[in-house]
Amino acid sequence: MRKIIVLFLIGLAVAACTSIDCPVNNSVRTYYALKKADGTPDTLNKDTMWVWTQRVDGTDTVISKQTQGNLELNYFYGSSASSFDLPISYTQPEDVLYMLVRNAKGINYLDTIRIKKENYPHFESVDCQASYFHTITGVSATHHVVDSIVINNPQVNYEQNTTHFKLYLKANR
Amino acid sequence: MSKIPHISSSISRLTVSLLLLLVGMGSTKAQVTKMFTLEKDSIPLFRGFSVSFDLVGPAMLMLSDHGEYEGALRVNLHDQWFPIFEVGIGKANHEKDEVTEITYKTTAPYFRIGMDWNILRNKHQSNRMYAGFRYAFTSYKVDIIREDLPDPVWQSQAGFGVKDMGCSMHWAEIVFGIDAKVFGPLHLGWNVRYKRRIVNNDGDLGTTWYVPGFGTNDSDNLAANFNVIIDI
Repeated sequence: MRKIIVLFLIGLAVAACTSIDCPVNNSVRTYYALKKADGTPDTLNKDTMWVWTQRVDGTDTVISKQTQGNLELNYFYGSSASSFDLPISYTQPEDVLYMLVRNAKGINYLDTIRIKKENYPHFESVDCQASYFHTITGVSATHHVVDSIVINNPQVNYEQNTTHFKLYLKANR
Repeated sequence: MSKIPHISSSISRLTVSLLLLLVGMGSTKAQVTKMFTLEKDSIPLFRGFSVSFDLVGPAMLMLSDHGEYEGALRVNLHDQWFPIFEVGIGKANHEKDEVTEITYKTTAPYFRIGMDWNILRNKHQSNRMYAGFRYAFTSYKVDIIREDLPDPVWQSQAGFGVKDMGCSMHWAEIVFGIDAKVFGPLHLGWNVRYKRRIVNNDGDLGTTWYVPGFGTNDSDNLAANFNVIIDI
């Protein structure tokens, strides 16, 4: 009987401690993998890529080396760039991303990627920041340097170890 | 978005909980048999009712943003078994968190039904020590509001407000407690409870935060009550 009482008192002491159980990773981002036509990993090799977007107020939020005062979503260079991640808007039904690839000869290729999605507010606790999860319903792109882009995993949430899009760039860029 | 477990897994969880209760009491087979057997003496089977109300829940309501008002009706069978029905109202009113700016509100009833066993050797004395179990249920609606949630990249405002989102939870409890007679029909007692979630529906936003009667939402919880008990 004494053991039971001690056990419950220990349990009560543990219960008296408060904790905040928010996810360690609480950023919602989309993950891209560069692929060759045969499905093997691709890299930018000696090319450079910039990705930017336009803010909701219409200002040219962009970013590239040529455009000042705007927001660059990401910038990649070299043979180690075989995958990358980008933010996703909270509530827009469609995100429009601009992707500029400059090859080793200095030639620029500009493509536009359109991502259609459904947005769901997500709540964990009053102690954790609110966020939005998404279901990607469609993707399309222009084809100056992009050969194709396909949805690999349509569910966008806190998961980091995933690939949402497979991006196939033209081999002769 | 929330997954509702299969009913068989729920039953198995409940079974495991009950087994844990028995194992936790260090019971041998003979002891378990004794627990379920009516002691042979001159005391009648039906010994009356008692009503009780909890003081911890109201204190939590006064000192924090969530808590409960809870009462119980308990039947005394031969000072050995105490079938019990508990009912309460759980309330949370978390207004615009200082950090996350989230508002969370709910007020809803909850119900528990179960049984306590007097585990003292001399069961017919006025003080009692008991162990028991509960099955509990609540169906509740929550308001979750986050105004002016800014999108850091696109700079749009993406706040949301969900009103009266329907949720529910079934859970099981293992209870251990003590009642002490103060005078006349008045007893005071405390108990601690291990609560284990069985099935839950958290609505469409991921999870809920406070569940009436269960506490902050998790797979399990520990809680304590301090009861004022009146024999009738």
